[in-house]
Amino acid sequence: MSAVVVVHGGAWAIPDDLAKASVDGVKAAACEGHSVLKRGGSALDAVEAAVRALEDNTVFNAGHGGTLNTEGEVELDAIIMDGRTLGNGAVSSAKNIAHPVTLARAVMEKTSHCMLTSRGANQFAESIGMATVPTETMVTEYERKEWEKHKNYVTGVMEDFNAQWAHDTVGAVAVDCSGNVACATSTGGIRNKMVGRVGDSPIIGSGGYADNLSGAVSCTGHGESILKVTLARLIISHIEQGKSVADSSQLSLQYMGNRVHGAGGAIVVSPSGQWAATFTTERMAWAAVDHDVLWFGLDPNQRSKEQLSN
Amino acid sequence: MLPAVVVHGGAGHIPKERAQNSTSGVSAAARAGYIVLKGGGSSMDAVVEAVTQLENNPSFNAGCGSVLNVKGEVEMDAFVMDWKTLATGAVSAVRDIANPTQLARLVMDKTSHACLTAEGAKQFARSMGVPEVPMESLITEYSRMRWRKNLAPDANPVECQMGKMGTVGAVAVDSEGVVACATSTGGMLNKMEGQVGDTPCIGQSSNIHGQIFPEGHSQAVMSILKLCQSAEAASDSALAYMKSRVDGLGGVVTVDPQGNWAARFSSRQMAWAAAQKDTLHYGLYTGEHFTQSIDEPH
Repeated sequence: MSAVVVVHGGAWAIPDDLAKASVDGVKAAACEGHSVLKRGGSALDAVEAAVRALEDNTVFNAGHGGTLNTEGEVELDAIIMDGRTLGNGAVSSAKNIAHPVTLARAVMEKTSHCMLTSRGANQFAESIGMATVPTETMVTEYERKEWEKHKNYVTGVMEDFNAQWAHDTVGAVAVDCSGNVACATSTGGIRNKMVGRVGDSPIIGSGGYADNLSGAVSCTGHGESILKVTLARLIISHIEQGKSVADSSQLSLQYMGNRVHGAGGAIVVSPSGQWAATFTTERMAWAAVDHDVLWFGLDPNQRSKEQLSN
Repeated sequence: MLPAVVVHGGAGHIPKERAQNSTSGVSAAARAGYIVLKGGGSSMDAVVEAVTQLENNPSFNAGCGSVLNVKGEVEMDAFVMDWKTLATGAVSAVRDIANPTQLARLVMDKTSHACLTAEGAKQFARSMGVPEVPMESLITEYSRMRWRKNLAPDANPVECQMGKMGTVGAVAVDSEGVVACATSTGGMLNKMEGQVGDTPCIGQSSNIHGQIFPEGHSQAVMSILKLCQSAEAASDSALAYMKSRVDGLGGVVTVDPQGNWAARFSSRQMAWAAAQKDTLHYGLYTGEHFTQSIDEPH
């Protein structure tokens, strides 16, 4: 049984000056996830490790480097799901947490709930000894400047989304050597969003879904569009009907484009190790490790590879 | 067959002494939704009206009558969705307003977002001129009694809650064949502060046909519906799936654009009512299906 990990660093028109850092970032995160799998770790451990690496990397809109809401605060969303048990944990609108994916995992493992929001999420973080990080440490100068430039959100979102400036979500999916799948997604949301806005990322079935019977999915793109079509669950439904992971992703993203005019991307892995990284935006930074080969891409139809040394 | 509205007031185990209130509550809500539809109102108007009635009714776990979180406070979730555009609106963990479903509709109509939570939801309510109500006005003696009982270390709030205090919801199809759904809840008894359940999560508690699943498998119903099974068969398949996969019990109300509807549940009871062709349908226990003229008092 071959263990595979796939990660993404957001589907949007990634500008050239962020391209190399984005690709380097997803490659490093995929390698993190791969190390976990290689030493026999679970798919759940692998996706958490990969997403933590992306949350630490300020080039991505998750954890450190997250975008600001309309009041200049950081509010973070994340989800993690275990395909073996269908167990899941999520946080939404959590403030100033360095690793929202780890907090989401704690919700899953240490409470009888699936999601905590806002102040409740932060209280829970405190109760388990997870420190908060000052806003200034979490926010990059780049983000602060972009936020000031885009204070008018209405022109912000669709323009941002279809143009150059949107940062985006991160995520990972994996299958381990026992055939268990897992997914994780983490984000700072949309720049200049309303206070308390929750997008697709922490919502089971939209930002992510994992089921040992079919596969694991993590999505990225315009959150409100992904929600309307419950993109992750839609992809899983196609897989359940016998389609390949690639076709399932293509069909679902096309549907989202046609039905609600939203663009995005998805990474998928099946319990047998089939995987795909698909997007309808201009670019998506993604990477995967499969049989000790590191695959990665940015532009449509790009699939580069490097052999990993053992 | 058009228009039609179906309403539920919670699936589980409803104690006998509360059964009458549950049944009359859902019947009144179905009637109210139906009046909107007959008057030419949209399915969205109808479901919001029906659920508003249930939120205002202290017998249900939504709005007034909501269960309390572990701190003894009311935090509510709500969701609305319109099939025509797949537009959705949701609020989670919102406090101190009487009708979270109406606020969810405002999120859908007046923002470019799909969901607002907690303090952000409240700020938005303020900006929309939604009146703030004292939390006390939403708390009933019954919910306080349940909360106190479940503070005991050996208490089992999940078991205690099942069905006694249910989430509410409605689905409707209007004369133009457009479907909509709405769901509202105070959540889980003695939940942690900030706990969000399935209600405001699209695809879990509701989607275009308005299924309600505690464990989040309404997409399963959708997939089955797409394979052309009837609303009833699709609902039963999905409930069976939820039971076999995650040992979860629940209930579903479903309607399709042609006006076929179903109210199905795998729990012991579900208070439900439907209105169509000037007839009121309602039931509580498995197998029950009573009918009467919509104009007859219940």
